[in-house]
Order: sequence, then C-alpha cells, then structure tokens
Amino acid sequence: MGTTRGGWQVALRLARREAWRRKGQTALMLLLICLPVVAVTAAAVVWRTQDVSGVESIERRMGAADARLVAHEGPMVEQHFDPDVAQGWVGEGTRKPATLDEVLAVAGAGRPAVPLLRESRTFRTDAGVADMEVLTTDLDSPLAAGLVRPVEGTFPPGPGEVVVNRAAADRGPGLGETLTVLHKTADGEQEVELEVVGIAESAVSRGYPFAAGQPGTFGGSATHEHEWLLGGGPVTWDDVVALNRIGVAVASRHVLTDPPPDSVLTSGGSPVSSLLLDSGPDELTITVLALVVVMVLLEVVLLAGPAFAVRAKAQAHALALVAAAGGTPRQARRTVLASGVVVGLVGGVVGVVLGIGAGALAVPVAQRFNSTVFGPFEVPWPLLGVVAVFGFLSALLAAVVPAFAASRQDVVAVLGGRRGEGRPSTRSPILGVVLLGAGVAGAATGAVAGQEVGAVLIAGSALVAVVGMILVVPVVVAVVARLAARLPLALRFAARDAARHRTRTVPAVAAVGATVAGVVALGIAVSSQEAANEAEYTPLLRDGHGSVSLSNPDTDPAAVDAVLRKAGLDDQVEAITGLRLSTDTEEMELEFRQGEEALWLSYWSGLGSPYAVGETVPDFVDIAPAARERADAVLAEGGLVLLQDPHASEGSYTLPQLDGDPVAVDVRRWSDDLPEPELAATAEAPTVLLEVSGTATVLAVFSPPVVEDLGLPTAVVGTLLAAPISDETEKDVAEALAALPGDPYFYVERGYRTPDEVRIIQAVLAALGGILMLGGTLTATFLALSDAKPDLATMAAVGARPRTRRGVAASYALVVGGVGALLGAPVGFIPGVAISQPITKDPVTGTTLLEVPWTLVGLVVVGLPLLTALAVGACARGRLPLTARID
Amino acid sequence: MTDPVLRLTDVRRVHGTGATQVEALRGISFAAYAGELVAVMGPSGSGKSTLLTIAGGLDQPTSGAVVVEGADLTGLGLDARARMRRTSIGYVFQGFNLIPALTAAENVALPRELDGVPARTARQEARAALEEVGIGELADRFPDDMSGGQQQRVAIARAVVGERRLILADEPTGALDTETGEEILRLLRARCDAGAAGVLVTHEARHAAWADRVVFLRDGVVVDETGTASVDLLTEPAAR
Ligand SMILES: Nc1ncnc2c1ncn2[C@@H]1O[C@H](COP(=O)(O)OP(=O)(O)OP(=O)(O)O)[C@@H](O)[C@H]1O
Ligand SMILES: [Mg+2]
Repeated sequence: MGTTRGGWQVALRLARREAWRRKGQTALMLLLICLPVVAVTAAAVVWRTQDVSGVESIERRMGAADARLVAHEGPMVEQHFDPDVAQGWVGEGTRKPATLDEVLAVAGAGRPAVPLLRESRTFRTDAGVADMEVLTTDLDSPLAAGLVRPVEGTFPPGPGEVVVNRAAADRGPGLGETLTVLHKTADGEQEVELEVVGIAESAVSRGYPFAAGQPGTFGGSATHEHEWLLGGGPVTWDDVVALNRIGVAVASRHVLTDPPPDSVLTSGGSPVSSLLLDSGPDELTITVLALVVVMVLLEVVLLAGPAFAVRAKAQAHALALVAAAGGTPRQARRTVLASGVVVGLVGGVVGVVLGIGAGALAVPVAQRFNSTVFGPFEVPWPLLGVVAVFGFLSALLAAVVPAFAASRQDVVAVLGGRRGEGRPSTRSPILGVVLLGAGVAGAATGAVAGQEVGAVLIAGSALVAVVGMILVVPVVVAVVARLAARLPLALRFAARDAARHRTRTVPAVAAVGATVAGVVALGIAVSSQEAANEAEYTPLLRDGHGSVSLSNPDTDPAAVDAVLRKAGLDDQVEAITGLRLSTDTEEMELEFRQGEEALWLSYWSGLGSPYAVGETVPDFVDIAPAARERADAVLAEGGLVLLQDPHASEGSYTLPQLDGDPVAVDVRRWSDDLPEPELAATAEAPTVLLEVSGTATVLAVFSPPVVEDLGLPTAVVGTLLAAPISDETEKDVAEALAALPGDPYFYVERGYRTPDEVRIIQAVLAALGGILMLGGTLTATFLALSDAKPDLATMAAVGARPRTRRGVAASYALVVGGVGALLGAPVGFIPGVAISQPITKDPVTGTTLLEVPWTLVGLVVVGLPLLTALAVGACARGRLPLTARID
Repeated sequence: MTDPVLRLTDVRRVHGTGATQVEALRGISFAAYAGELVAVMGPSGSGKSTLLTIAGGLDQPTSGAVVVEGADLTGLGLDARARMRRTSIGYVFQGFNLIPALTAAENVALPRELDGVPARTARQEARAALEEVGIGELADRFPDDMSGGQQQRVAIARAVVGERRLILADEPTGALDTETGEEILRLLRARCDAGAAGVLVTHEARHAAWADRVVFLRDGVVVDETGTASVDLLTEPAAR
C-alpha cells in the first residue's frame, strides 16, 4: 500500500510540474473542463435564486404580519401547513364566511388585523382596456409593510388615490394622472377614477400592471371571501387548526418557518393530506436525468480528450525512457492519469467558483425576463458539490484512454523518434458495430413501446449507439487516411496525420459526431412534431382574414362596426346572420341525426354561432361551383346544408353521404333552473352534406323555413373581415374591442404557427450544437497544429508558402468536422426516427409522421464542417515555423 | 568565369538583443559555383548552420547580400523566398526531416506539388529521383518503416527533384553509420558533377575530402578558404 501511495505521489508531482510547464495546454484543458461546470453552476444559482421557497415568500404574502387569513364559505377547512400548497373544504353545505370578530375570538382577542384583498380588475389604457392586479389593504399599517415597494412619488396613497407600478404607468396612467378602473357589478359597469400619486412595485411580480390603494378605493368587491393580515405574535399550528374549524385558511409565519411534523399533517388520511405527501421524483425522471448526465459527461470527456491525449504524447518519450529503465505499465498509466486528477481538481473548484460569479451576474438579467420577483441570492452548495465532482470525473475519464495508450506504447518506436501510433485494434470496431445494432434494435423497440417507457428506451439506445459510433471512429479515420492518397496535399497530410495520432483525433471526431447526432435526432423529433401539429391544425378562416364573434346580446354590432371602421377595415366587413344560441339565462344546443343515428359535427368557429342562416350559401364558404349550385337548390326548397372540412375530420369517424336525405335537428335547451337539458324543438329537412375546398367558417347553413320550424331567433352572430389584417391592426382592434361590453371575441387566422417557445428551444439547441461542434473541431485542430510543428517546418524548408499552414489547419478542421458529421448524422437518425413515432402518433387513427429536416441535416453535415474549415483557415496564423532545428 | 549559383557578401547575423545578443555570423563572403561541392567546417557554434539557413532563405541576414541564381534573397518576401526553395534550392538536414504522414514518393514530390505541378507528374518525377538515389522500390513506404540511411536518401531525392541547382546539406551523415554516410556523400557529389552547386556542412575531415573546396568558419568569420589538399592537415588537430 505504501508503494501505491508513493507511486501516486510521484505521479501527481510530475503532473503538477507538467501542468505548470505547459501552461497554454493546461489552460486549454482547464477551459474544457471548467466551462460546463461554470455553465451548470451558474444555471443552478439562477434557478435556486428565482425559486421562491416557502420561507422566502413570507414577506411577499403577508408583509410584516404574523399570518394571512382567508375566510371561506365552506364550513371547515383542511389545509397543508402552507395553504398555498393545498387546502380544501370539508363538511356539508355552505356557511357565511367568518367575520373578523369570530376570527379574533378564536385566534385571541386584541390581535391587530387589517383586511387585505388581491383582485383582478380592468383599467383604461391609452389604447383601450387591459387587465391589472389590484391590492387593497391598509397600506399605513405596519402589518402591510413589505407588500408594496415604493419607487417614486407619495406612499402610502390616501383615499381616492392609488399607487401603480411601472408596467401600468407605461400603458397610460402615469404619475399625477388618472387611473380609471372598470368594475362590473350587478347593476352594470362602474368606473372608478383615482389619482395616481406614486409609483410602487408589488413584492410578488413585476411587468404585469398592478395598483394598490386603501380599503374601499376600487369600489365594492366581487368576492365572497374575506382576507386579513393578523399581528400580535406567533400564530401556532394549534391556532391554525382551530381557525380551520371555522372555515378559515391560515398562512402563518411561525408555522411556515418551523413546520409541524408530518405525523400531525397526515392524521386522518383525508384527501387533502394525501396531496401533501411529497412523493419525491419518480423513476422515470431519475432515469431521464441519469441519461442526460451521462450524455453531457460523455460529450465533455470527448471534447477534453484530445488535450489529454496530446499531454500524454508529450510525456511519451519520458515514459519510454522510464519503461526502458524498468518502469511498469501501471506507473506509466498513473503518470498520465495524474494529469486528469490535477486538472479535474483545479477545474472543478475553479469552475464552481467562477460559476457562482457568473450566476450572480446572470440573476439581474434573468429577472428582467421574468415577471415573478426572485427570492434572495442563493447558492445550492450540495448541488454544486455534485457539479464539481462531475468536473473532476470528466477530467479523469478524459485521461483514461491516453493513460492506457501510454502504458501500452511501443517503447522502441518512441525512443526511435517515430511519432505515430500503431495500427488500430480490430476488436473494438466490431464491438462498435454490435452496439450500433443494439442501438437500432432498442430504438425500434422504444418506437412502438408506450410514450414514456419508449422515450427512455430510445434515449438509452441513443447512448448505446453513440458509444458504438465512438468505437467505429478509429477505423473510419484509418479508411479516410487510405482514401486520402488522391487528395490535395494539405488534405492528404491532415487525413493521414489524423489517423497517425488516433488518441487525439478519435475523441475530437467523436465529440463532433455525438453533437451532430444530437442535433439531427432533436431536429427530426421537432420537425416531425411540428408536422403533426400542422397536420392537425384546422384553419377557421382564410389565411390572414379575421372575424369578430357576437355571441353576447350585450354587444352592440354598431359599436363593433365603429371600431372596425376606425381601424380602416370597414370596406371588407361582412355581417353574418346566424342562429342565436344563447341568451342571458339559457343556452341552446343543436343535435343532428339521420333517423336514430346521430351525426357528429365538429364544433368550433370564430363566430358567435357556427350555424349561418340564408337562402344561398354565403360567399365566404369555400366550395366547388357544382356543389354550391346543389346546396343553393336545397336551401331554395327549404332544406339544410351541412359542411364538412376534410382537415377537421375527427379520427376515423366519417359522416354518411347525404344528398337531399331527410335529417332531423333537435334543439336542446340548457338553463340554470333546469336540472337537465330539455328538448325544445325538432324539425326535419332535406339535407346535403358537402365537402369544402378551403375553409368552411361555419358548420351548416339553415334555410329560413327550417329556422322557423325550430323557433330559434336569428341575429348577426359575427362579422367577417375579408382582407388580410396586419399584426399591428390586429393588436389595436383587439384592445379596442376588449373595451366593449360583452367582450366580443376577435380572431385572426394566421395558419399554423410554431409556438415561440419551440422556436426559442430550437435556436438554443442550434446554437449549442454549433458551439460544441466548433469547440470540438477547433481544439482538435489547434492541438494537431502544435503537434505538427516539425512537419510544418519541413514543409517550409522545401518551399511551402506561409499560407500552407492555413491550408493544413483548414484541412484538419475539415477532416475532424466532416468525418464526425458524416458518422454522427446517421447515428442521429436512429433515435430521431424512433422518437418521431410515439410523439406524432394520432391517438385515434394511429398514423404517425416522419419529417426529416434535410436542410438542417445538410447544413450540419456539409455546411458546418466547411464553414468551420474556412473559419479555421482564416484564423490560423499564416506563418510557418522556419527554424530547421527540429531534433 | 560564370556567375556563382550562390553568393554571400559580407553577411552578418545577430541573434537576440542586449545582453543575450549573439553574433552568429560576422561578415561572411563566399560563393559556390555550378558543378562544385563546397564543404563548410568549423567548431560547434561557429555559425555553420546559420550560414546554411540564410543561404536557403529560411532566415534573413541582419546585413549583407545573399544572391541565389541571380536573385537577392534579402530583397524577397516570404512567398518569393518559399518559391526559391521550391525551384532553386534543395535542403538536406541531419535529422532527415521527412514528413511521417507522407510516403517516400510523396515526400520527394512535396516541393514540386507545392509548386503547382500536377500531382501525377510530381509523383513521376519523384519516382525518378528515388530511382536515382537507388531506392525506387521504397516509393510507397512511409518514413517510419524505413532505416535512417533510406530516409536520408529520400531527403536527398527531395532536395534534388525538379532540377534544383543549389543543394544545401547540414551534416547529412551525422546520424548514419560510416558506410551509409559515404553513400549519401557519393550521391551529393554525383549531383554536383551533374551541374548543381553544393554546400556541405560537416564535422569530419573525411567527408570534406569529397568536396572541391573547404571553407573554415570560427566565431562567425571565414578563417580559411582552401582546396581539399590541405584539408587533412588543417583539420586533424581540430577533429581531435
Ligand atoms: N535562434 C537563435 N537564437 C539565439 N542564438 C542562436 C540562434 N541560432 C543560433 N544561435 C547562436 O548562433 C551561433 C551559431 O550557431 P549555429 O547553429 O550556426 O552553429 P553551428 O556552427 O551550426 O554549430 P553546430 O556545429 O553545433 O551545429 C551559436 O552561438 C548559437 O548559440
Ligand atoms: Mg549546426
């Protein structure tokens, strides 16, 4: 044992010296190990900081009070120790919410209390109306201190005054101006005008309009609940339970800071209690997490690998001399591994320290994009410990292969000055092919397995396939070197040199390959998913056109017209007459049937009613001329036209052919005073079912006689805007319409749009992929160049132009990037194609989609390596080492 | 007499500045003519290698003129000097300096290929050059799979390919056994007899015997310039 420790001591000392001696190389190794550690650490710090824990949220929830109480209509309340986590009513019936007197009788008379209310209101903006959050409480009270943070002007506001936040002030009511709050009550809409005396931010969120005032400021409250802030000393768990019995939920400072034991919470085993059991992460999450960690580790190891290989190579001569003098292979191995230990220790620690700094810098930036106010700065030490170990492990693993190579090196060749490595092993590529096969098989199994298990299986297979690919890389590199005989000098040299220095080249190529595989796999998955979403999407209107739905009788069509006229849209407006299906008290529903068989029409329309009324089919329905003729004939004879959008077909259900066949229409009436819907009317009419060629906009067209038979009212149910509407006009019109009574719904057809978050994820992944690819290629290239200094000097001596170095550099980049991309892309298809199956599977028909983003694949396989090569060629020093002293 | 292939006029070369300044060459003038092999001798550190790198355009003199086939290297840029090395000057090093990633033929073809000669033609010329130095059958081997002598022959083939008229050899036999060394010198001599000018840096008087003329350097200056007859006399004591 003593000798083992001694062996390590010597090895570590050597590694330290070597690290110091080759500072540039060591810096590169540290950078590669540090960067991921820094990134993860910074992300962890930002994440922990933005996450507001129970204790951190006390001030924003209850200011300086000891508790916040909410009295419910339920007879009794059961709650988690934090009522925001879970609470529920128990017992039968309702009760009047507890009054403050009742509360104080339980909690202890003499405690100070102030009412508190958070509500959503509408306020007038410069452009129309918008929603805001209003806080009503006694802002003078010390209990409320901390709920609102004054920024500018007067605080607290007096009666008839308010403070608003920046976000609200920016939309209209600024300091010194008037805030008009709209408030719907039983007797219509009420406006409250208040003077803005100050700017203040809510402790909870920013960026969303907010106003605060004294009790009564915003007019009567709509809620039936009562809330208070309570002071006068700690509110214990026993107090909480006692208050629960009179229907009051309590968030207590004392209980939140010092929670009661679980045994108290779970007594009785009632439904709420079971909600509260924190059932740690499930197996699936852990598996996915483990896979992600392994993949990241693999990528880091591959990226750092070349640097460690070059370091080991630099020590090769010394190690060969040691071997010649009787050193064992294990000593050689240890010497190289020690480099990993030294770099890993330093890299892990330095990475964490830098990461905390980076996190501190990133917190304010992240806060700017987040409306929730972050908690205090927090450093998750145990997690960072794991991250540091990760960094250490990646450096150690990166040194493993070079270490074994060093322990097996051909001493004679090294001492004889031969710089190349021997032939590649033939066994590992066979194993690689086997693993690739296993990856394909696993992915195929995963593709047909259930959603979640399938995904894990596919991710696991992807990992197996990537490892398989790594084992195949040496052979491919050797083959490329063989084929290079006919290539131009620089490429030939780069390809052969790459093959001669396998321990350096293979991890670099594999890093690029793994990155490309990831990008291709995700690209296929995202494209397929998007294709599925797009296929599922049914447009309601022609592209760019709009509609205003008029379903609420309160909405005055003339007011809508006025808004549209102001927006300059009046000449393309078409009012749609249809069946009015709702009144203040009732709701009608239509059911179609042929004999006893129900006909299921999809129900979705941008109008107030999906049923138009007319003597002919309206122009806005896209339908073939012959079909229109037929439909108009049926309507003329008092019939009914059903329209079917082929895109909107629901699963495998198909409507029967109808060509003048009688179809019955049942009207069912829903009403508050009816326990069940009742059949109000039935009519039968000759009906045609027609397929629309574009968008249907409505589901059916009723002829006036049918409407009469059903006894339903007709009305203008909506307005169509038959012209493209710009994004800007859309925003203006929407805001103006929102101010009208009845809230008419404004819809503009934009076709299928990729959601923003998908785009952001795509952009981030693309950037990350590009950076990793570039990083892998660049480190390998510049390490290769420094290794090839003697060869470049020789070239110079026989007359190479200085820029030959650029050519050689670009060629290295092309070989590493190109081979990596060519290998990685097919490997990426394995999980990509597999995962596209479960995620695009139609739940009804079971059909799946596969969309390969060929542009992306082409870009990654051809474009990026070429681009990298060009960039490397441009950046490389165009100077050859001219010294002929090489030995 | 015709113009020399190589002419150095009052060449000085100072390495470094200030306290660490070393004056490797202190005003050297000498010429090498077509068909002539000139040996350069002198103790270690006397400036022999420096002289050769300057003659080969790998290094620039601090002052003085270096004219190769009528072109003054000191007036040329990096690219132009590189072209001179591809077309007019051949270099042979003590350490062979073959590129391990290239085969023997490719190593020899290197200057031609760099010069833009089509790969096929360059390869043919290289094979011919390898035949000339007697190792045509090793054309497709990689340097790591050859002996030192074989490698040095490849280096010589590379230095002469493309009819280059100035051959510079810096202790080309230093790493070889006597017999192989003699063989290498014979090749050099043959090349000079065929019309090239050769400059051979060597430590050994025996090798200087292959030369037409010997130039002695000491501390960066030419201390003697003589015919081979007196070589033995002059160098025996120094060699010991
Ligand atoms: N790059 C350099 N920087 C500083 N000094 C140098 C450099 N190159 C050569 N010298 C110095 O110039 C002098 C001449 O060196 P040079 O290599 O020409 O000698 P040499 O005659 O070839 O010696 P040897 O027989 O040992 O090869 C020496 O003193 C050497 O230290
Ligand atoms: Mg020398």
